[in-house]
Amino acid sequence: MHYDIALAWSTLPQLLRGAAMTLAVLIPVLALGLVIAIPLALRRASPGRRWIAAGYVGFFRGVPSLILLYAIYNGLPQLAGIRNGPLWPLFSNAYFCAVVGLSLTHSAYLAEILRAGLQAVPQGVVEAATALGMRPNVIFWKVRWPIAARHALRAYQNEILIMVKSTAAVGAITLVELNAAANEVFEFTYDPFTPLLTAAAIYWAMINIIRLGFDAAERYLNAGQTRALIS
Amino acid sequence: MTATAPALPIPKAAPTVPTPIITLRGVGKSYGNHQVLHGIDLSIHKGETVVICGPSGSGKSTLIRSIAHLEPHDNGQIIVAGIHLTHEPQSIQDVRRELGMVFQQFNLFPHMTVLGNCTYAPRVALGMSERSATALAMRLLERVRLVDQARKYPSELSGGQQQRVAIARALCMQPRIMLFDEPTSALDPEMVNEVLAVMEELAREGMTMLCVTHELNFARRVAHRCVFLEQGTVNVDAPTSSFFDAPPTPRLAAFLDSRL
Ligand SMILES: Nc1ncnc2c1ncn2[C@@H]1O[C@H](COP(=O)(O)OP(=O)(O)O)[C@@H](O)[C@H]1O
Ligand SMILES: [Mg+2]
Repeated sequence: MHYDIALAWSTLPQLLRGAAMTLAVLIPVLALGLVIAIPLALRRASPGRRWIAAGYVGFFRGVPSLILLYAIYNGLPQLAGIRNGPLWPLFSNAYFCAVVGLSLTHSAYLAEILRAGLQAVPQGVVEAATALGMRPNVIFWKVRWPIAARHALRAYQNEILIMVKSTAAVGAITLVELNAAANEVFEFTYDPFTPLLTAAAIYWAMINIIRLGFDAAERYLNAGQTRALIS
Repeated sequence: MTATAPALPIPKAAPTVPTPIITLRGVGKSYGNHQVLHGIDLSIHKGETVVICGPSGSGKSTLIRSIAHLEPHDNGQIIVAGIHLTHEPQSIQDVRRELGMVFQQFNLFPHMTVLGNCTYAPRVALGMSERSATALAMRLLERVRLVDQARKYPSELSGGQQQRVAIARALCMQPRIMLFDEPTSALDPEMVNEVLAVMEELAREGMTMLCVTHELNFARRVAHRCVFLEQGTVNVDAPTSSFFDAPPTPRLAAFLDSRL
């Protein structure tokens, strides 16, 4: 067993196309996840009518993403309403189903992360802002949210890195992302080592680029202070 | 003096009874079925410093917080600078506009610099320009002796410094009344005095102040009047000298004894 550099080089374009698919799934999932998670977290962190958000978070954190993807891509078409309905062009598309499935899971985890961040904001700081005559929406966006975001940043970074690897699940619904591309090379060449190691290196590079991005964000949010502003 | 000026009749000042700047009449407040404040009557005049003390749990924080409507009162009247505090947003906003509040836990905005802490509310709540807000903030930071720390973040300051920033931040809204809720209780002993000194200066300059504090020496030196709160009622409301030297109730006498 050895690393076949010639094979790695010749199959690199194939793996990079896989990596491109990984990113093509990941990026909308991260964006959609944030869009769904913010209102969920607000519901969860405020009194009253919490159960819808709690139910959503509980359900989608509990279901493995692989099963969710199968259910959306293979299960929903069993329903005549979907198959004959106006949304069929969307739900027959594996890419669309992949983005929806992973967004459901990611937004549920992210909502919890944001809720924990919001709850970590000291009530007294919010009261001080209130006593200073700041309006509730100003207090939310300029006081609670920035403090919550700083608290949530570490957990959010973790969640995104986990999401990068979770994208491998969309291979199960026919999308050739990085992991599936490496498997294709393996099935074609019977070299189990070279394509997987190359794929691992590409994942590693992606993850570290994201990590560097977070490090920069953290430095920015801490305004270049050596000590974190919020511990 | 060679010539005596003709004696002009000295215009007799109308005997005005000044209206208090804060009036509480029969203020009550319960949490569930636990009544915390029972029919509190209290008035504070312009320029007065009034200290509130009393055992822990007697309702001091609830009282001071209800004036700023951080806790809505259940019954009775609260009138601040002529404004009746109702539960209407406009009335609440108008009352808060007159008040500056300082808390035990400083409650600075951790993600803003000292200067940002001081200028943010004047900018968003008063619509002040950044320039004039900064000028005002620097003047007030000067007063609490923290100009040199203006660009730092709260986490880089000591507790005493943070509390002085909190005072400056409240003053930046140019309130007519300052409310303090145990401003030195979270501080290390060596930092208590720097905060009390700033408060004393403020009182001497004529600011109207209502302070909850256990610093009885400060009360004796600075307060015009002291109020002893006990189980949600005003047990004593007396001028400082009689409050300390001739405590009118046995309960106050016992409280003072326990603190000597
Ligand atoms: N948010 C709250 N919910 C329920 N009870 C409260 C709340 N805040 C204060 N209390 C109760 O009200 C009483 C007075 O509290 P507080 O005003 O904080 O007293 P003090 O400041 O004099 O120590 C205490 O018995 C306290 O337990
Ligand atoms: Mg208290």
